[in-house]
Amino acid sequence: MAAAHELVVVGVSHHTAPLAVRERIAVNDEQVPHELRAIMTDGAAAEGMLISTCNRVELYGTATDTDQLVNRARSYLRSRAAPEAIDGFLYERRGPDAAGHAFRVVSSLDSMVVGEPQILGQMKRAFAVAEAAGAVGTVLGHCFRRAFAVAKRVRTETLVGAGAVSVSSIAVSLAQQIFGDLIGRRVLLVGAGKMGEAAVKSLAKQNARLVVLNRSPERAEELARNWSGEARPLEHLAQELVRADVVIASTMSDRFIITDEMMRSVVKARRRRPLFLIDISVPRNIDPRVEELDNTFLYDLDDLQKIAGDNLAARKREVAAAEAIVAKEAASFARWHRSLAVTPTIVALRERVRETVLAELQKTLPRMSSLSEDDRKVLEAMCEGIVNKLVHRPLTELKKGASEPEGPVIIDIARRLYGIDLSTPSIAPAQPPEDPKKEPGP
Amino acid sequence: MVTVFFVATGILYAFSCALFIALLVRGNDRVGKTATGFLAAAAVAHIGFLLADYVLADRVPFGDIRPTLSLMSLLVVLGYLVALSTHRAAVLGAFITPVTLLFFVLASLGRSVEPVPHEVRSVLLPLHIGANVLGIVTFTFAFAVAVAYVIQEHLLRKKRVGGLFKRLPALDVLDSLGLRLLTIGFPLLTVGIVTGGLWATRLDRGGSVISGAQGFALIAWVIFAAVLLLRVAAGWRGRRAAIGTLLGYACALVVVAGYLVRGGSA
Repeated sequence: MAAAHELVVVGVSHHTAPLAVRERIAVNDEQVPHELRAIMTDGAAAEGMLISTCNRVELYGTATDTDQLVNRARSYLRSRAAPEAIDGFLYERRGPDAAGHAFRVVSSLDSMVVGEPQILGQMKRAFAVAEAAGAVGTVLGHCFRRAFAVAKRVRTETLVGAGAVSVSSIAVSLAQQIFGDLIGRRVLLVGAGKMGEAAVKSLAKQNARLVVLNRSPERAEELARNWSGEARPLEHLAQELVRADVVIASTMSDRFIITDEMMRSVVKARRRRPLFLIDISVPRNIDPRVEELDNTFLYDLDDLQKIAGDNLAARKREVAAAEAIVAKEAASFARWHRSLAVTPTIVALRERVRETVLAELQKTLPRMSSLSEDDRKVLEAMCEGIVNKLVHRPLTELKKGASEPEGPVIIDIARRLYGIDLSTPSIAPAQPPEDPKKEPGP
Repeated sequence: MVTVFFVATGILYAFSCALFIALLVRGNDRVGKTATGFLAAAAVAHIGFLLADYVLADRVPFGDIRPTLSLMSLLVVLGYLVALSTHRAAVLGAFITPVTLLFFVLASLGRSVEPVPHEVRSVLLPLHIGANVLGIVTFTFAFAVAVAYVIQEHLLRKKRVGGLFKRLPALDVLDSLGLRLLTIGFPLLTVGIVTGGLWATRLDRGGSVISGAQGFALIAWVIFAAVLLLRVAAGWRGRRAAIGTLLGYACALVVVAGYLVRGGSA
C-alpha cells in the first residue's frame, strides 16, 4: 500500500551534545542550500530543511522509507565530525513526534533559555532557505507553516516569552519602565569590555545615544563606532554623569569609580532628573550608598541575576500550558498527515467507478442509433451524475476515516472492495500544487 | 426613578472600581476592557441620574455641594474615559475610580440647602464654582498619577520589578504628567480661592476670620504652589513632588468634606 511521506528529524542540541560537538557539525548559512541538495540528490529525502544555530543542528526531511532517510541524515551529520565524536549525541524523531518536536523548537520550549525569541527567526530563515532551494513540499511546508502559527499561539496565549532574562534585555526593560521611550536618551557606558558591549547593545538598538568612557581611547572609539555613539576620556566621567540617563559600569577597577560623594554633586547638578545606574562589574564600580540618593536607581549584578532568575522561573511555570498547545497542534498535524494517505485512493476509486459506468455507456450507445448528438450528451451527463452519486458516500466516509488512527485499515478495505492497486505510483506529498517548480529533483 | 438611577450608577461604579483594582493587582487585558465598559455604563447611568434629579426633583447640578460633588465625579469619569481612548493608562483607573465612587456616595449624604438668594448672586459665583470643580477634577487626575508614581518608585527602589511594576506607566512619564496636571489645576484653584474670598467678603459672612474650609483651601494652595516653585527653583521632582501633590489633594478633600458636613452652598 502506498504511504504518505513521513516527517523525520535527526540532530543534536544543547540537551544532548556539548558545545565542542555542536560547533564541529555546525553548518554556515551560505553552505546550507548546497548541503541540502547534496542530501537530497540520492533520493533518500523527498523534502529537506537544515537548521544550524549555536544550540542545535537539525536536519528535517520527509520520505516514504524513513529508515533510509534516518541513516542518510545520520551519516551526513557524522561526516561533519569524527563519527566516534558524534555517536551517542544524535537523536531522531519520526512522524507525529517529529512534528511535535518542530513545534516545541519553534515555540522556544526546547531552547536553552525557554521562551527566547531568536529561535523563531532562525527557524523562519532556515525554512526560507530550504524553500528557495526547492526542498520544501507539502508535508514539510505544512509542518513549518503550522509550527510558526503554533509559536505565535504559544507567545500570545501563555507567558512563556514574558520577562527579560539577559542583562541587556533587563537593562532595556527597566530603563523603559523609568523613562518610557528610550529614543535619544543618553546611555553612558563606563568601561568598553565585552560585558559592557553586550549589556549596552539592546539599549543602542532602541535608538538611545551611546557615550563610551574607557581608559584606552582606541577601544572606546571602536565600540562607539560600532553603535553610532561617541567616545569620551574617562576623566570626563563626572560631567557625563550629569548628562546621562542610563549608566552601565563595567570596568576592571578594584575600587568604586562612581563614589557616593561624586554622585551627591552630580544629583544636584542634574536637578534630580532620574538616573538609572547598572553596575555589572565585579568587584563593583559604583558605591552602593548611591541608591539612597533622590531619583537615583542602582542595580548591580546580583539584582539583575535575581530578576533574570525570577523571570525564568515565571516562564517555566508557563511551560505546561505551552506544551498543552503544542500537543494539541501536533495531534491536529497527525490527523492532517493521515488524511494525506487517502488522496490517491479517492482519485483511483472515483476513476474506477467512472470508467465502469462510461464503459457500459459506450457499449450501449452503438445499439441506440436513433439518438441525436444532444441526446448522447444528455446520457453522458446522466452517467457522470450517477458516478458522483455512487461515490459520494464512500468518499465522504473515506475522508472522515482517513484522519482517524484506524485510517490505513479503512483505506485498505476500500481498495479491496473496489479492486484498486496503488503499488506503483507514490502519493508524492512533496509537490506543492501552488508551485510545482519547487519540487526537489531526486 | 431618581433612586433607580442612583442605585444603578453606584453599583456600576463599584463594579468598575473592583475590576480596575483587579487589573492593577493581576493584570489582564480583558479585565481592563470589562472595567472600562462598566465605567462607561456607569457614566451613562450617572448622566441619567443627574437629569432625573434635575427634571423630577428640580435640583440644579451646581445648586449646592451635593449635586456639585456628583457632577465632579462624573467629570472625572468622562475625562478619564476620553484619556483612555488615546492613552494606555487603564491601570490608573484603580486610583481614579475609588475617588469617583467616594464622591458619588458622599454626594448622597450631604444635606441640601436652600439655593443662593438672588440678591447675593453675582458673576463671581459661577466663576468660583466652575474653577473649583475643574480644579478638583484636575487634581483628582494628579492624585492618581502621584499614587502610581509613589508605588512605582517604591517598587523600583525595592527591586520588586515584577507584574505590578510592569503594569504601571513609566516613572518619568508619570512625573511629567503630574507636573502638567498641577500646572493646569493650580491656576484654577487660585481663581477658585480668590473668587470665593471676594464673594465671602461681599456676603460679609466671616468678617476678617477665615473659615476652616477656607483655611484648608489656602493650605492646599500653598502646598501646590510650593511643589511647582520648588520644582522650578530647586529641581524638586519625582517622589517629593508626588508626595506634595498627595498632601495638597488631601487638603482639597478636607475642604470638600467641610462643605459636606456643614451642608453649605458650593
